[in-house]
Amino acid sequence: MKSMASDAAISIPAPARAALMRCVGISKFFGGVRALHRVSLDLFPGEIVALVGDNGAGKSTLVKILSGICQPDEGDLWFGEERPQRLTARQARKFGVETVYQHLSLCDNLGAAANVMLGQEPVRWQLGPLRILDEPRARTEAMRRIGEVGVVLEDLNAPVRRLSGGQRQAVAIARAMVNAHRLVMFDEPTAALGVKQTHATLELIRRVAQQGIAVVLISHNLDDVFAVSMRIVALRHGQVCLNVPTEKTSRATVVAAMTGVALEGRE
Amino acid sequence: MAGNAIVPLWRRWLKDNGRNLGLALALGLALLVLAVLSPKYMTFDNLVVVALQMAFIGIAALGTTHLVIGGNIDLSIGSLFALTAVCAAMLAKVSPPFVAILGAILLGSAIGLLNGALIWRVKLSPIIITLGSLAILRGVVLLLTGGYSVRGVPSLFGEIGQWRLVGLPLPVCTLLGLAAFAHFILTHTTLGRHLFAIGGNREACEAAGIPVRRLVLGSFLINGGIIGLSGALAASRFGSASPSFGIALELDAITAVLLGGVAFTGGEGNVLGVMLAVALLGVINSGIVSLGIDPNYAEVVKGATLIAAVTLNQLSHEAREQHRKRSAMRELL
Repeated sequence: MKSMASDAAISIPAPARAALMRCVGISKFFGGVRALHRVSLDLFPGEIVALVGDNGAGKSTLVKILSGICQPDEGDLWFGEERPQRLTARQARKFGVETVYQHLSLCDNLGAAANVMLGQEPVRWQLGPLRILDEPRARTEAMRRIGEVGVVLEDLNAPVRRLSGGQRQAVAIARAMVNAHRLVMFDEPTAALGVKQTHATLELIRRVAQQGIAVVLISHNLDDVFAVSMRIVALRHGQVCLNVPTEKTSRATVVAAMTGVALEGRE
Repeated sequence: MAGNAIVPLWRRWLKDNGRNLGLALALGLALLVLAVLSPKYMTFDNLVVVALQMAFIGIAALGTTHLVIGGNIDLSIGSLFALTAVCAAMLAKVSPPFVAILGAILLGSAIGLLNGALIWRVKLSPIIITLGSLAILRGVVLLLTGGYSVRGVPSLFGEIGQWRLVGLPLPVCTLLGLAAFAHFILTHTTLGRHLFAIGGNREACEAAGIPVRRLVLGSFLINGGIIGLSGALAASRFGSASPSFGIALELDAITAVLLGGVAFTGGEGNVLGVMLAVALLGVINSGIVSLGIDPNYAEVVKGATLIAAVTLNQLSHEAREQHRKRSAMRELL
């Protein structure tokens, strides 16, 4: 069964559209532990792919590899026609890949504007290593970005630790959108949110995809997955065990693929 | 609603500047008391002497400020100060003053960078590593000098430390210049913004593509360079360098930095607060002497001031948090 699953993952039919990003046979080991085994995945413009799997299935590792934080032990990453030898976080950003993390990686001590523009602050002028911040431009740009997420913040300078969970999520997403032109990955974006804010976040994810960006949504919440995704990819023990269009599958199939329980019962 | 908008404005200003306001008030009060009780204290000449006493601590505090804001610390600065002062004095005997000062700055930078690299590589608390360097460097200074002061520096080197700019001694000018520069860096450049960000959440910065390693190593390097410069200035000012220079300098610098409102956990602080704290500590020190009180009380007052300030800050912070939680709950209900 295992070999069948990985074969199925590798023999994806040649795509009609050009993939924005392709993973081909990605494997990753942590010591003796195999986190990922020959994972192949194509990501297309405007498509929302839900990445599901039990804890430890390898979702986070895959995200880290795609965003250049971890390097795979085997396999290739293609960005359109380009295949970097060793993808670093910096390069991933240059390729337009952004991640919104589960534990929102915000600087709690900084304001919303500073967080949104972190790492790409507009510069008024440069003197050697000294880059002078263009504060007004940063603020208008941040305000616009946060507005696009559909949230209004009163004070863009107040430390984000004073904001609510939903507002913080909005800031994190707004930051990702500054640079993302290829792929945005959402790591459990709705885990800490209420009903209304979950709805708003899913709407935003749709809007991101509508801009022609590939979206990967990692979620334990199958309601969210079936609400927004167009394709569902399930990982189990580091292998792709399901890769189907959302409308052609059911919750039972997805749960079975994730856990492996019901599927084996059916065989 | 309109009233609401106005109240938070001054509240916010107070929240952002309350600490500095408190320090300024304390400083003003101390000066007022001294002006009344000891008329000779409030003369320009005396204040210059006070400033000169605090100049080296102030310069060290600036370096410590940006290290602590970035979530680091260097405890070895006291020993480094002595080492660079001694080396500057030794160099001054065999080379032009310019070379001696540059040599001290380079030596300080190199040792600072070494500390930073070790901390980065070993991923241990900078407190542990630099506690080690504190001892090592002091030992090196004592070995290098045999425990004796380096005397007999050429007069030209000795004169530099006596220079005055607009009536202020060179070390004080250096302090003011560095303070202005540090303030500018921290508030107006991406460099400063990133230091705050690293102190707030280092992982977020790495994910955002900020060159965290370069910034952390750079801040250790700059800190060492600043200490080197002030070591050279001290050697020049006093016309000699003693291996016992800068004992407890790191503690004085950290006291000033914390009193000045820099969060020990990183990510928060401002240069104005630190400079106010340095001034306050200097006035307390010298004031107690000029009032004829046993100078040992100065240490007691210094410690008490620090504890009082951070306690007050913590309590008001807790009160604010509680108020915020309560009003958030009210909104929810």
